[in-house]
Amino acid sequence: MTYDRHMERRRFLQAAASAPAALAAAVHEDLPHYRVVSRFLASAHPGMPGPYPGKVARVHAAKSIDEQSEKVDAAAVVGMMSQGMRALTGDADARDSWARFFSPSDVVGIKVNCSGAPGIMSTPEVVAEIVRNLGAVGVKPQQVWIYERFRNQVDSVHYDRFVPAGVNIWTAEQSRGSIAGYDPNTYVDVDFFGEDDTRSNLSRVVSERLTKIINVPNMKDHGAAGVTGCLKNIAYGSFSNVARSHSGFKTNTYSFIGTLASVEPLRSRTVLHIMDGLRGVWHGGPFSQKRKFRFYPKEMMFGTDPVAVDRLLLDVIDGKRAAEHASSVWDRSMSHVKAGPFYDDNPSINRYIREPGHIEYAAKLGLGVYDIGQIQVRKIEL
Amino acid sequence: MHAFLLAALLPALQWDQGLSTENSVKEAGIQRLYVPADQVAGWKKVGFDAQTFNAAKFVKLPAPGVEYKMDEAAATSLPWVDANGWRMARDGSHAYYYSVPWRKATLAAAEAFANGVDAAVHLDPRELAAFGKMLAFLRGIEIPPLPVMANIGFIDDGSDQTGEVMNLMARRNLLFRVVSAPDPHCDLNVQIGTEEFSQDDAADPFAFATLVRKKLTDEKRLVRLYGSDVVLARMNGDATRVRVHLINYGGGKVDGLRVRVRGEYAQGQLAAFGIQNTALADFGIADGGTEFTIPSMNVYAVVDLKK
Repeated sequence: MTYDRHMERRRFLQAAASAPAALAAAVHEDLPHYRVVSRFLASAHPGMPGPYPGKVARVHAAKSIDEQSEKVDAAAVVGMMSQGMRALTGDADARDSWARFFSPSDVVGIKVNCSGAPGIMSTPEVVAEIVRNLGAVGVKPQQVWIYERFRNQVDSVHYDRFVPAGVNIWTAEQSRGSIAGYDPNTYVDVDFFGEDDTRSNLSRVVSERLTKIINVPNMKDHGAAGVTGCLKNIAYGSFSNVARSHSGFKTNTYSFIGTLASVEPLRSRTVLHIMDGLRGVWHGGPFSQKRKFRFYPKEMMFGTDPVAVDRLLLDVIDGKRAAEHASSVWDRSMSHVKAGPFYDDNPSINRYIREPGHIEYAAKLGLGVYDIGQIQVRKIEL
Repeated sequence: MHAFLLAALLPALQWDQGLSTENSVKEAGIQRLYVPADQVAGWKKVGFDAQTFNAAKFVKLPAPGVEYKMDEAAATSLPWVDANGWRMARDGSHAYYYSVPWRKATLAAAEAFANGVDAAVHLDPRELAAFGKMLAFLRGIEIPPLPVMANIGFIDDGSDQTGEVMNLMARRNLLFRVVSAPDPHCDLNVQIGTEEFSQDDAADPFAFATLVRKKLTDEKRLVRLYGSDVVLARMNGDATRVRVHLINYGGGKVDGLRVRVRGEYAQGQLAAFGIQNTALADFGIADGGTEFTIPSMNVYAVVDLKK
């Protein structure tokens, strides 16, 4: 199946005019021309936004991580996971909650985020608890695939020390830039800046092995996308050759993230988002080279709607930035955009004109609910 | 698409190490040598095809490879590929001479072979055996009399500026050949100084190559590569078959290179230097093109496609 994704200009401007961020959206009237190539059809009920559109369970546990040592309290994580899944689904027993999504025959991918490792990543204790819950509903370790793009980043985390033997740890790129781990027949073709390689291909593990995916992003600021949460992690973390979307001060994350997340079979197979906010990064993301920009929300969010979860994330990151007297992720002033090393140390310097509007754009593609007034949040304090 | 038939010559070794190295050269499987005049008879006597090396008879080329100029401002962050194919297209009738540092000799040999030119290669003696292996690989490749494939006619005024434009077109795998006047058989003709391609446009060769690509359109490109910034392609072919030369200037292995060739071909065969029992992967036809993956390649691979 091949199709063009190019929102007609008039239609887009009408949509932008009705949106809260109309001014920012109007900047994007000339979107790139995306050509999506995939042999997969959408399932009758795609994983995104899934059975709980506009619904998010937030669980906060003060003792989940020690801010000084960054040691994680595994028992607290167990409680957070149980409470969060039950709150999302309404079940009395967490096992029933997991069984809504997974059956013993599933091959389940866990999309971790290791771009900030070892400072911040999908916490091993969180990933281990996910694997344990999958096991409780009959998914064997051999049917679980922890996956990321880059081998060197994943190796620094040592997930193997936390999960049962047999769990697969897979990366698309054993060496940076190799596309051998990507599906040559499932890709998005787009020319952003005249680059010669115009394809971004989907990880083979997604198209060839997995039946379901659990997305485990962190709570992070992002120099290009504004924030990086569910959408950015599942999109840029599952496709090749995505860094080309940034050049100079411009980034195409606004429309590229949602476009990638919509590609089948990724959209249909991603059935659950567990945002790991034990740690967070409020500036310098997606990396975490300076500890002074890490903070500790000590919460996890659960949902099937990546847009709704990310909409809440926007407020977490921008709120923290405001508290630290840093510029807003929405700030588009060129006076704050500078090339060079300034960004790494100054939270009011942007490397690119940030595009937090990518979340609202993803909502327009049908991936979830952006309107904060329409998002139902269930908060739990442990 | 006119004929520039591949020369059947393999690159020769330009060797000045003296007859005492006879065994090393023999063990490397090298037969054709350019040596100092006073050594010709001696090398011939022990069985080599030796000729006097006269630098004046060769056009010297820079060493091929890649430079990462991180500290220089540039239009892109792409690595700087030093390739000589455009020079050979400009004056392909010459014999060429490379004097290359360690680990560049196999690349030089592959580049000369792929472009169908005669070349002598002076190398670091540490690379003698590897060079011999490359010659053995090239010797095993059948050389059918196929014309060079190019669908861009380029009118070369011989200036440095047009040279750099040709360099960057080759760098982007925009396959061209030098013509003296616009060729109606080409999909696009490029002449700097015309309304379509002004002198001002050519002042930025990188942008100029982008302009050529845009005017040609990606749909009409004869070949496209995905998954590497440092592999360049060259093609020979006729109505029924095509040979794709893939030269890796990066120095490291490239895994999973995806290739798209314009036109529909039923089957393909791969030979990759230094890799045994290799075959094309994920071969298929889509939207008027044939696509396949090179599972792994070192410095040079050859793909033969048949209808």
